[in-house]
Formats: sequence, structure tokens, C-alpha cells
Amino acid sequence: MTGALMMVGSVYPEIKIGCFGFYRLLKMKYYQDETSSKMGMWLFLSSEILLFGGLFILYSVYRFKFSHSFHLAAEALNRPIGTVNTLLLLTSSLTIALSISSLKEGKRSVSLLSLIATLLLGLLFLGLKYVEWVEKIDHGIYPNSPRLLERNSGEILFFGLYYSMIGLHGFHVLIGLIVLVIMGILIIKGKVNEDHFIPLENTGLYWHLVDILWVFLFPLFYLIP
Amino acid sequence: MGMRGKPVFLSPKTYVWVWMILIFLTGLTVSFAGMDWGRWGMVILLLVATIKSSLILNYFMHLRYEKKIRLFRWIIPGILLLLVLFIGFTFLDVVFR
Repeated sequence: MTGALMMVGSVYPEIKIGCFGFYRLLKMKYYQDETSSKMGMWLFLSSEILLFGGLFILYSVYRFKFSHSFHLAAEALNRPIGTVNTLLLLTSSLTIALSISSLKEGKRSVSLLSLIATLLLGLLFLGLKYVEWVEKIDHGIYPNSPRLLERNSGEILFFGLYYSMIGLHGFHVLIGLIVLVIMGILIIKGKVNEDHFIPLENTGLYWHLVDILWVFLFPLFYLIP
Repeated sequence: MGMRGKPVFLSPKTYVWVWMILIFLTGLTVSFAGMDWGRWGMVILLLVATIKSSLILNYFMHLRYEKKIRLFRWIIPGILLLLVLFIGFTFLDVVFR
């Protein structure tokens, strides 16, 4: 009984602070607190880096153990498509940066156009990814496929990592595209504007991070020396 | 952008310049991959990728201009340091097992 009372006693202040925090959040609905929202975004991005970091560790250990078969397997990947995809993502990073800067200057239509350009570049990226994967799957190379299982374990591991890391990255691009569409709607409605641009800026941060991840994935998978 | 500071304004020219350097570095990476660098190939590829990502972080993500709050500038190097530690200890285990 005393234990239960003590527990309630210790939890109560937390509930009180929590409720107060929520109340303040409601009151501050239209207040643009740049620093804390950007801080939150950067913390989220660092958790993303650690998520991919685990996979990068896995990659580097297996590459160390099976460097020859990783080299052989990477030769089978479509290098031109990988290169074009790199150029597409880098350009989409430019267009979203331009979109943010023109929104800050109050040029909403320019901002919207750059945002649409970003969206199209991202869609093209995913389209090329689709072409690439269909080609691989047609060749009978997909996780657990009979043809892949005939190969040695290094190559099986390479393609396992290829499908999971590139796939996870592609999933991030897809989420980014959905957020871009939402941002476009918010700009058209005027809810994201030159006085309230933090949502677009955070979207940009996310999009650039996805770009940075690709900057590392591209040489690791397509250009293994 | 700093706390209650003015938002960062970079001219479109700067962005386009950074983008051109990034495209150039991509071309460099792809042509490097065609050459035989032996053991150093991977090191060179990763070095160019690091330069590219630091350009994106500093200019596109404005990390260079986060003057007022130092914490912003330490989050990413801190996380990368953590990652290097993870990779380092993993390799200590893998190599000396």
C-alpha cells in the first residue's frame, strides 16, 4: 500500500508537467520555434544515420571477409543506372534547396515549381530503381532465388545486403516523396509561407540526408574496386 | 538559422556552384572506379564520398551557418564518431578472433 502511494507520488509530478507541456503546445500552435523543431529534426536524422550505420557495419565486415566475391557480384550491377540515379538525387537536392530559399524570399510560385521538380526527380529515381530491380529479378537474382543460392556465400550476402540497403533507401525516398506532396499542398494553401517555412526546411533536411546516404551507397555497391 | 536570428539566405548562385562541384566529383568517382588502384581504390572512393557529403551538410543543409547554437554543429560529428567507434570495435573483434 505504501509502495503504491509512493509510486503515485512519484508519477504525479510527471503527469502534471506532461499536461502543462501539452497545454503549452496547444497555445503555441502558431508560434514558429525554429531552434527546437530543427533540433528535433537533426536528432531524428542522427537516428537515421545510426539505422543505416548498423547496415554499413554489416556491409564492411562481410566485404572484409568476402572481398573477392563482393567484387565479382558488384560487376553484375548496372553501373550506368546507378550513375544516372546519383545525378538525379544530387540535382533534386539542388532543386529543394532552391525551393526553400525562394519561399523565404516570398516567391511562392518559384518555390512550388522547384518543389515539383524535386518530386519529378525523385519519381525518376524510383522509376530507374524499378527498371534495375526488374532486370535483376528477371535474371533470377533475388533473395532466396534458386539461381542465387547456387553461387558462393559471399555473393549471396552481397545481394542480400544490396536488396536490403538499397531497398531501405528507396523506402526513404518514397516517404520523402509523400512528404514533398504534402508540402506542395501546404504551400498552395498558403499554410507554409515566407513567415512559416520550417516544415519545408525540415523536409529539405530529410531529403538531403537521403541524398547523402545514396552518396555512400553508390560507390559501395556499384563501384567496388 | 540561429535562435531568433535571421534565416540563412544563400544566393541561388552558391547552390548551383555546390551542385556543379558535386556533379564533377561524381564524374571523378565513376572514372576512378574504372582504374586499377589496388588496395587504395576503396579509400579513394570513400574519401570522395566524404567530401561530397560534407558539401551537402555544410551548404545545402546550412550546417556551416548554424552559428548561434553550437550543438547543431556537434550532433553530426558526434554521431559519426560513435559510428566510427562501432565499426572500429567490430573490426577489432572480427580481425583478432
